[in-house]
Amino acid sequence: MKPPEDALAASTMTGTSLPIAGPATLRAYARTLLRRHRRAFTVVIVAHAVAAAAALVGPIVLGDLVESLATDLSAARVDLAAGVFLVALVIQTVFTRITRLRAGVLGEEVLADLREDFIARAVRLPTGVVERAGTGDLVSRTTTDVDRLNHAVRDAVPEIVIACITALFVTGALVITAPQVAVAWLLSVPLIVLSSRWYFKRAPQSYRAETATYAAVSASIAETVDAGQTTELYRLGPQRIEITDGRIRRWIAWERYTLWLRTVWFPVIETGYVVPLVGVLAWGGWLVSQGTISIGQLTTALLLTQMLVEPIDLILMWYDELQVGQASLARLVGVQEVPDAETDPSLEPADDRIVVDDVRFGYRAGRDVLHGIDLDVAPGERLALVGPSGAGKSTLGRLLAGIYAPRTGSVEMGGAALHLMPAEAVRTQVALVNQEHHVFVGTMRDNLLLARPDADDDALLAALDSVDALPWFETLPDGLSTRVGTGGHPLAPGQSQQLALARLILADPHTLVLDEATSLLDPRAARHLERSLDAVLEGRTVIAIAHRLHTAYDADRIAVVDGGRVTELGSHDQLVSADGAYAALWRSWQDADDE
Amino acid sequence: MSMRRLPHPDPGVPDLRSALAYLLWTARGQWRTLALGVLFAVTWFAAQAVMPAALGAGVQAASEGRQQDVLRAAGVLAVLGAVQAAAGILRHRMAVTNWIAAASRVQQLAVRHSARLGSRITRDVATGEVVAVTSSDVEKVGSGFDVFARFVGAVVAFVGVAIVLFASSPALGIVVVVGVPVLGLSVAPLLKPLERRESDRRTKFGRATELASDTVAGLRVLRGIGGEDLFVRRFHDASQEVRASAVQVARLRSTMDALQVALPGFFVVAVTWLSARLVVSGSLDIGELVAFYGWSAFLLIPLRTFVEAAHRWTAAYVAAGRVVALLSLPVPDEGGLPLSAERAGRGVLHDPSSGLTVQPQQLTAVVCAQQAVADSIALRLAGLGDGADAVTLDGIPLGELARSDLRAAVVAQDKDPVLLSGTLAQLLDVPRSGRVRIQDAVEAASAYDVLDALIDSSPDVSDPLHARITERGRSLSGGQRQRLALVRSFVADPPVLVLDEPTSAVDSHTEARIASSLREMRAGRTTVVLTSSPLLLDVADRVVLVVDGRAAAEGRHRALMLEEPRYRAIVTREEVNAP
Repeated sequence: MKPPEDALAASTMTGTSLPIAGPATLRAYARTLLRRHRRAFTVVIVAHAVAAAAALVGPIVLGDLVESLATDLSAARVDLAAGVFLVALVIQTVFTRITRLRAGVLGEEVLADLREDFIARAVRLPTGVVERAGTGDLVSRTTTDVDRLNHAVRDAVPEIVIACITALFVTGALVITAPQVAVAWLLSVPLIVLSSRWYFKRAPQSYRAETATYAAVSASIAETVDAGQTTELYRLGPQRIEITDGRIRRWIAWERYTLWLRTVWFPVIETGYVVPLVGVLAWGGWLVSQGTISIGQLTTALLLTQMLVEPIDLILMWYDELQVGQASLARLVGVQEVPDAETDPSLEPADDRIVVDDVRFGYRAGRDVLHGIDLDVAPGERLALVGPSGAGKSTLGRLLAGIYAPRTGSVEMGGAALHLMPAEAVRTQVALVNQEHHVFVGTMRDNLLLARPDADDDALLAALDSVDALPWFETLPDGLSTRVGTGGHPLAPGQSQQLALARLILADPHTLVLDEATSLLDPRAARHLERSLDAVLEGRTVIAIAHRLHTAYDADRIAVVDGGRVTELGSHDQLVSADGAYAALWRSWQDADDE
Repeated sequence: MSMRRLPHPDPGVPDLRSALAYLLWTARGQWRTLALGVLFAVTWFAAQAVMPAALGAGVQAASEGRQQDVLRAAGVLAVLGAVQAAAGILRHRMAVTNWIAAASRVQQLAVRHSARLGSRITRDVATGEVVAVTSSDVEKVGSGFDVFARFVGAVVAFVGVAIVLFASSPALGIVVVVGVPVLGLSVAPLLKPLERRESDRRTKFGRATELASDTVAGLRVLRGIGGEDLFVRRFHDASQEVRASAVQVARLRSTMDALQVALPGFFVVAVTWLSARLVVSGSLDIGELVAFYGWSAFLLIPLRTFVEAAHRWTAAYVAAGRVVALLSLPVPDEGGLPLSAERAGRGVLHDPSSGLTVQPQQLTAVVCAQQAVADSIALRLAGLGDGADAVTLDGIPLGELARSDLRAAVVAQDKDPVLLSGTLAQLLDVPRSGRVRIQDAVEAASAYDVLDALIDSSPDVSDPLHARITERGRSLSGGQRQRLALVRSFVADPPVLVLDEPTSAVDSHTEARIASSLREMRAGRTTVVLTSSPLLLDVADRVVLVVDGRAAAEGRHRALMLEEPRYRAIVTREEVNAP
């Protein structure tokens, strides 16, 4: 049976922009973790070794008992054996508890290290990398991968480690008890190894596809519900049913495939477990009749053979989960491999003038978006960038904010190349203001303090006041301690935007790049917000990517960007009298407006 | 039923009288695979249960030097192994089939019912609840069916072994019959505290994850404004709280793990000791001692199955209750007066609550002082929301129209339109008049660059119609979403189209192009645009000003600009701010 062809499952598995750690990095990281927690790790291993040894007592005692009962029927002998068995059981119980507890504590420490290392690195990623990769991949690593790793470290790793030790002890005991019959396991080793290799070569990606296609079914139903109004208005009901049924079909196709993998693998494994048992009995029975081994040895060997099944089964069962965990670990550790942007902390702008010199830039090799931009922005100037969608305005804005480095040419602030300055230095000079007014989970204070960690409450209130946010701020239940963001006190879009503006007041950069900062808002809220914005813009250099023409009208100079070039540059009046593209647009706006 | 025949061509009409009724209805639909599953599970368990006896017989024969019988026992063991392997995989296949049959039926019923409910579903029930049904409850109902056959097999095996033990020694029988349930229940007192600690850990883990993903989601802001150290510290604290809480879980879990060793171990010791005593007294032989030792370990398997089945059935019952609640949400009445598309296109649309009248085959613009009023008017005209039933189309109240005819007559486009995920072709695959070609609609909505952006983000396709739109169109900007929605509305080409702020997130250049092609695209059709953009208002046949929810003035845009100061104030917001 072939795996189903499935574009959807494939597409959910590819397409990442942040690196994934290779095997060498992973091994090195694992070694570091081992070293950091060497003591705890040793305790776990030793404690389990004791427990595993104690577990061997049962089969050995029973073997002895069978041996002695075959010749001498003594009740005292039976009671003694039961007593030994009981003592071993107590030791096994105590040390199992120690093993599991220490392994649990160790696992949690490792997990805390992993997620904290990850976040500490993530928040220091170069701004260009964040902008380009988007936050989606990072968020999915933060949630899905941390969660998967959690499962692996809490369950799969200890289970496998413990099972390996157990298997080692049982095998050892078997070899010591009756090496002649222990060879029966050699019959099944090839069965188990070969079939498992066959299975694990196909299983991981198939289970991932199965999970992804199953999630796609849930997503499709959830979307139908969520978009109930759209579904009703556009009469999409039959289409939604067809799409969902199609996804169910695809999911079931993967279920059938993975079931087929198990249909091949499970019986072979099960056979692999029974073959040694049959072998030990038949071969061992003959050896007993020959007097080579005793009946007690045969019994012990049979019981140990049965006992060996459980750890092997556990290893095979958790192996998959371990692989999932390893893949997630690779994605978490991969973030550490992002190279830091080459920066020069000693760069110090001489003044606030921005000079853009013959800048070319593209997101993909051989496909420039900007084709030779020259621009000179004086301190305190208001420059508007206008032009159709996709002309490169936003890209230019990101270069001006030091997020991207130009492919050729330069963007300099007071003679210092912006892209060579560390993010921490750039943001004291220039800030990009866009539609993304993220409100962080936390208090109002947390949300403001990030812009200036040493500010006192008075400064925070003053910032809120200057963006005209006090009227609604005063209605908050706990003032600055009010919890906002997801799950907290809800803020209207306009309020979130004002909060973002208050942060700007606190951060106090001398230059602002505005990228359609208010465009998604209700026009009436936007008008109110523009007054708040004016307070922020006061006394700063402003480069506004203009969405609506009135913003451009207010600017000192207007740059028309079209096809990645600045096609017109000048004041409103100059451009209108030049009678170019800007003038034409202005007229249609104006005509519609007045007359 | 074979998996090949899933999903069901038609999931059928479920019995929604109760959760149990629903589960039984599902069971009737797949009784064949359930019955086969029971057959294989019983065989599978029986083969395992007989194994210790074969092993004991082998040891007994070996101790007496009966080489022939040792080989016979080994042969029996081999046959049992083969039966166990075969029945085991067949049982597993049936279990998975039962799981999928039950789960996919819930999925199919849920999507069909949701589609029938349309906009009502989010009004009657939170989306989260429905998502809970379609993700976790589906699995729980399915897994209730998965465990059924195994449960029956476990009962048969347990009863069988108990009878054999009773027959050999009543004392042993009592140890088993009393001991196994006690073992099953003995960890129960720990389950509640473990559940509590685990849920505390989950809550804290959830909070830390939320904090982390929130931090990462706002990373652009953080890198642009600052505060990284603050957030790393915050996360460190949350993460250490998770660790502390997880260690509490580990404490209890390790105690339970130890008990899982001690209690069954004690049971094995007791059974072995009693059996060995019976050997001493001569009522058992040593082969039987080995067999009994094997059984004392084997009995833990049915025991685990009992506990598992109890858990899964409780969960399945609760989940089925939620499924029934979802599927029982009342569907709106389909009946009503018929209305042909032709008549809908020629009728006057009138909204008594705002006094708004829309002339047929014209482009009417509506300007509202408050966005919320505009939103509710848009919905009302399409027959949704409060007061919608009183709106008339060609004199007939919308509430009296047949639902399907109403839906064919009026479409309303939201200002933040929802794009369902899928390919562009799927997005545009809406019931349509056939009059508008896709490329003309794309042209009219000035959406060619959106198509380019879609192709750019899906490198493996060259035809934009095959490019994928992610859920809710999140990868697109607001303006791009609005324009794709316009393409969809144009293609649908309904007799009456209501557009709520269709270009509020589109730049002026593009908006001007859309405004100039809107009239042509909707020529001969009734169109209502709720907007305050002068570019769109200028192309309207008629503009209505709505103040405080009531139509207050109407006329051409330019006339209103001159004569109506309230209108001018709303439309020319740039002049309010002009220096």
